[in-house]
Amino acid sequence: MHIGHYISGGAHAGLIFWALFGGMFAPEPLPMEVVTVSVITSAEFDAITAAYQPPSIDMAAQDLTQTPTTETAPILETAKDETVSSVIPPARPEQTVEITKPQPVEPLETPQVEPAIPDQPAPPQEVTPDLPVTRPNAVPRPADRVAPEPVAPPKEDAAIDEQVQDSVALADAGQKTDQPEQEATAPEAATTEIVTEAKKEPPSGAPKTSPRPRQRPAEPQVEKTDPAPPETQKSDPSSVQDALAQAMAGTTSEPSGPPMTQGETDAFRISVQKCWVVDVGSEAANVTVTVGMSLDRDGMVDGGSLKLISSTGGSDRAANTAFNAARRAILRCQKDGYKLPVDKYDHWRDIEITFNPEEMRAR
Amino acid sequence: MFRFLIFTLFSINAALAQAAPLRIEIKNGVIEPLPFAAPTFVAENSAANDLAQDLVNVVSQDLVGTGLFRQIPQSAFISTVTSFASPIQYADWKAINAQALLTGAVGTDGKTVTVKFRVYDVFANQELGAGLKFSGSQDGWRRIAHKVADVVYSRITGESGYFDSRVVYVAESGNKGQRRKRLAIMDYDGANVKYLTGSDDIVLAPRFSPTGDRVLYTSYETGHPRIYVMDVGSATRRVLQNAPGTMSFAPRFAPDGNTIVYSLEQGGNTDIHLMNLASGQSRRLTNDASIETAPSFSPDGSQIVFESDRSGSQQLYIMSADGGAAKRISFGDGRYGTPVWSPRGDMIAFTKQSKGRFHIGVMRTDGSEERLLTASFLDEGPTWSPNGRVIMFTRETQGVTGAANLYSVDISGRNLKPVPTASGGSDPAWSPLGK
Repeated sequence: MHIGHYISGGAHAGLIFWALFGGMFAPEPLPMEVVTVSVITSAEFDAITAAYQPPSIDMAAQDLTQTPTTETAPILETAKDETVSSVIPPARPEQTVEITKPQPVEPLETPQVEPAIPDQPAPPQEVTPDLPVTRPNAVPRPADRVAPEPVAPPKEDAAIDEQVQDSVALADAGQKTDQPEQEATAPEAATTEIVTEAKKEPPSGAPKTSPRPRQRPAEPQVEKTDPAPPETQKSDPSSVQDALAQAMAGTTSEPSGPPMTQGETDAFRISVQKCWVVDVGSEAANVTVTVGMSLDRDGMVDGGSLKLISSTGGSDRAANTAFNAARRAILRCQKDGYKLPVDKYDHWRDIEITFNPEEMRAR
Repeated sequence: MFRFLIFTLFSINAALAQAAPLRIEIKNGVIEPLPFAAPTFVAENSAANDLAQDLVNVVSQDLVGTGLFRQIPQSAFISTVTSFASPIQYADWKAINAQALLTGAVGTDGKTVTVKFRVYDVFANQELGAGLKFSGSQDGWRRIAHKVADVVYSRITGESGYFDSRVVYVAESGNKGQRRKRLAIMDYDGANVKYLTGSDDIVLAPRFSPTGDRVLYTSYETGHPRIYVMDVGSATRRVLQNAPGTMSFAPRFAPDGNTIVYSLEQGGNTDIHLMNLASGQSRRLTNDASIETAPSFSPDGSQIVFESDRSGSQQLYIMSADGGAAKRISFGDGRYGTPVWSPRGDMIAFTKQSKGRFHIGVMRTDGSEERLLTASFLDEGPTWSPNGRVIMFTRETQGVTGAANLYSVDISGRNLKPVPTASGGSDPAWSPLGK
């Protein structure tokens, strides 16, 4: 009687323990290489193969089926006075390799695809090597401003502004115009590196590297939409374990909603970095600072939330200078608020930016 | 049962959870002058009207001259500052992209000038440090302006300035074959030039003491190079090394100000010696058959960098301040000379001759990260600004009409420009920052 209870109790306890902690002992799944394939019909395949003309091979040029006769076996010379070891190594057993007949592999499972074929981008035009227009070792045009992207000098009469606009003059007397008068604006000229006087020496003209063809264009991205799970879908044991593990793990969690895309994150990064002024000759240029901040839904930074989270390299004074430069960049470039997706506010309510001047020092 | 358990745990977790912040890293910024606004200081009495504008002009020239700042013209201002005590309309200054704002007030009684000023970080809506006040004689108003600029520079960059400093140099006049040379001293920006010697004798390589009150230099007054020390205030001088049959040159103070290091040629060989100024006793630091010269102390006084041709070509070496074995630090193409240790202690400036051109360059004290900042027919003799940020040097142009002039360049290689002098100039030496 009691033995039955003990067995039953132990079994239930084991089951609950497995449900709660079983996932902790599961091995990490090995990384799986995923290859994107496209499925075509046999008719399309025939059409493709028919259009393909195999290159002609001049059989007379090289007959690989013939046993080479000109090649002679190397002649091993032995030293005449060399003492030969009396130990003869045992003969190696003949190695035999079994070759099996080719067997058909299992066909790939046909994926369920949408009947409508998304618009494919036009095939890229013939790719030509990316030959430099200027000399390979040309020195960048000197400019007061050094930025990630070079900017050509603006016209003489253009005011400096991020936006490019042409000037509009007042209409002559008697003429009507809807456009208000405006002056021409253009971004300030910029170069990508500091051009010292020493760098302006005439180059030798010899390229340091050979030109390389342009990188293969990326595959068109086809957005996949996972079908809604059926009502009767069973819970994936691994997902249950993950959820339990995450719930038990601690006090951090991923925000709800779709995550920030790389493009959205990059756009934000670029909008801050164009205001990050680095004084490359200062001690602060040796300091990497991480700055934390909070934003409201309009993308406006809460000035009081800006704080130095960490710094590496340099004195406290240099770290403070680096923090001030980072803070100025964040506050100056927000203008009317950073353009961030409102529906993903939970993902960017709090942001930590690391300002690393290492690459700037090399310019 | 599972679902209930998961739901319960998630509910607890959601209550405790803090969303992880979005983390990004920025590696690419911009290098450009920081725009600042400096409205004319408020004149506290009518006698200070002109002075208020002059002061702001000098402060602005100091800041803009670094290449690190850009002044926003007053015509672009939205706000006006009519009272030193008025609150700052940050929005008006943000609208014109002023990242820093300098306000001030000036008063004078005809003899004494009083300047009050504040610096603001516009986009942070806050003042950078506390306001300050300087007072001084009316004649010294430019020095007050330089001191204001030093504070502004320091508040914004986090590093000390170099505007309240002077430069001693060799003023040159006349044709190239018959140049007259005399020692001169001026403010770092070329103002207030004063001559310390006449033009009868050739003078070379003046060097400031660590306190800026004395100058070492080499003179050919006796027909042979001799080292002199001069008191800047009284212009009195005395010879330091006068042994017959010798030539002494290339002197430089040790950081303690009581010792000098110099080169002594004796019997056709040149070595580096150390001299105690009080006792006049000298000690040899190198003893090689080659030429060792142009010694310069590290800021802590523990090491000396110098040039030597002991390897067959002119290169840079570092040895202990007590002498002994030296370690070569320059290995690039060409010849290296006139090394000077940075006041920060992290860099060494030098002259390099390579492929028919002269360069002013900097390198780490171990010889790494060599960077050439200039290139011309003849650049030589670098000297560091007191904050180790700017290098001044001599540039001489080619041909019979060629002239020597002073130039300065930021250690990043930017902001290369001539230093204004009344006539030509060479061999500059920067003083320490004024007290």
